[in-house]
Amino acid sequence: MVDWNLAVRIASGGFGMVFLILAVLALLVWLTYLAVNRFSKGSLNTEEKKRH
Amino acid sequence: MFGLLESGFQQFYWGNALMLVIGGLFIYLAIARKMEPLLLIPIGFGILLVNLPLGGMMDYQLEVRATAAGNVLEVQMDEGDKFKEGDTICLLDSGEVLTPVFGRIAEIKVSPDQHVEAGDVIASIITMQQTDQSKVPTEPIGLLSRIFKFGIMWQVLPPLMFLCLGALTDFGPMLANPKTLLLGAAAQFGVYFAFFMALLFGFTLPEACSIGIIGGAEGPTTIYVTSILAPQIIGATAVACYSYMALVPIILPPVIRLLTTKKERAIYMKPQLREVSRLERILFPIITTIVVILIVPFSAPLMGCFMVGNLFRECGVTDRLSNTAQTTLVDMLTIFLTLSIGATMPAENFLQPKTLLILVLGVVAFATAAAAGVVLAKIMNLFSKEKINPMIGAAGVSAVPMSARVVQVMGQKENPRNFLLMHAMGPNVAGAIGAAIAGGVFLGIIG
Repeated sequence: MVDWNLAVRIASGGFGMVFLILAVLALLVWLTYLAVNRFSKGSLNTEEKKRH
Repeated sequence: MFGLLESGFQQFYWGNALMLVIGGLFIYLAIARKMEPLLLIPIGFGILLVNLPLGGMMDYQLEVRATAAGNVLEVQMDEGDKFKEGDTICLLDSGEVLTPVFGRIAEIKVSPDQHVEAGDVIASIITMQQTDQSKVPTEPIGLLSRIFKFGIMWQVLPPLMFLCLGALTDFGPMLANPKTLLLGAAAQFGVYFAFFMALLFGFTLPEACSIGIIGGAEGPTTIYVTSILAPQIIGATAVACYSYMALVPIILPPVIRLLTTKKERAIYMKPQLREVSRLERILFPIITTIVVILIVPFSAPLMGCFMVGNLFRECGVTDRLSNTAQTTLVDMLTIFLTLSIGATMPAENFLQPKTLLILVLGVVAFATAAAAGVVLAKIMNLFSKEKINPMIGAAGVSAVPMSARVVQVMGQKENPRNFLLMHAMGPNVAGAIGAAIAGGVFLGIIG
């Protein structure tokens, strides 16, 4: 006998969890890009200032 | 001594002949049609090997014991006799002793009028059936059964295979466009849809999870989850997953055409993705490992191995490890994994309504996964200025890189200027991460 309540909780919770984690990952990837971009721009500016 | 009585002909039946044809078909598709030969040839040959009776390559031995004390009234089988699950080996005055699996008698250890106590060995039998080891423990005595037990059932080969896949995977297209992670997530809808369908058709919860995870389109994930939750159906789920990965060029196009218009399929996407820095590529596997495993600890073996393999590839200082993982190791693991998976398909296992139902549900899982990816891509287009070609959503079916190639070919047919491969690789590899997470969630809840 299938416990349909449990099945619905597993499916909705499981799919929701997968979606949430990948959405969080997408956000972290984007934030990492911004951070790395800012860091490398900052380094370039510092090097340019040193040359001048 | 070779004689007719010892040959396989005596035990060969129509089911074995049919399975030889199926194995031959896999080999034909691999060689003549060049469909995933690295997978289909060992799987097809494994099917051949295990359907040539008395070969012994996939044999397990177990002892059938009396469940109650009694006197043996009649022994109903002889050494060498074949039997189905539930057949009577002998009659005791306290009840029948039944076979827990299909197989053949290796040795009868009792005789009529003998008294036996509970737990005494009645017979030693040989089977090729995969069993739940906690209920029916078996000992592997064949080459492939040993590889299967100690490689797959001990959950060693699938995570190592994932390590190699990590080393082979370029996450660059996904990192350049992180929205594609959502398309990979959407494709996991196929997992849960197939999970529900499996429950409707009478499978248990663990079996339904194992069938559902086929929709993740990741062979190692499917094998890993099934080996823990429902080892008795591992052959069917693994063969379904690997076969449908090879059949992605047939499964995906009709689904895509059904859900998209010609205009949508022709949406042009600029071929140039932004350049992804080396630091991003190095940070991604580390961040993903930490985040995913903290949230879903049961995904650790798969996700950890996947990401360490990717770090080997991207860090630039472990070229030897990366090269080994991408070449020698992945080839060795592919041989062991796929040969032993094919060998889980003797006719007695495969030609069951349950197995055929699993194969049908596998197609449903793949098709639904592709459909969900396409639908989410279309929804994203409603809110996005820069339109994405919805076909790339179907590449969330993470048969890497086949799904992406299918999208590329279809895209070029609709618009020869369109180069969608790199765009489709984003959801393709994101789907691999999604499948590992989905597997970890199932294991966390049910395992």
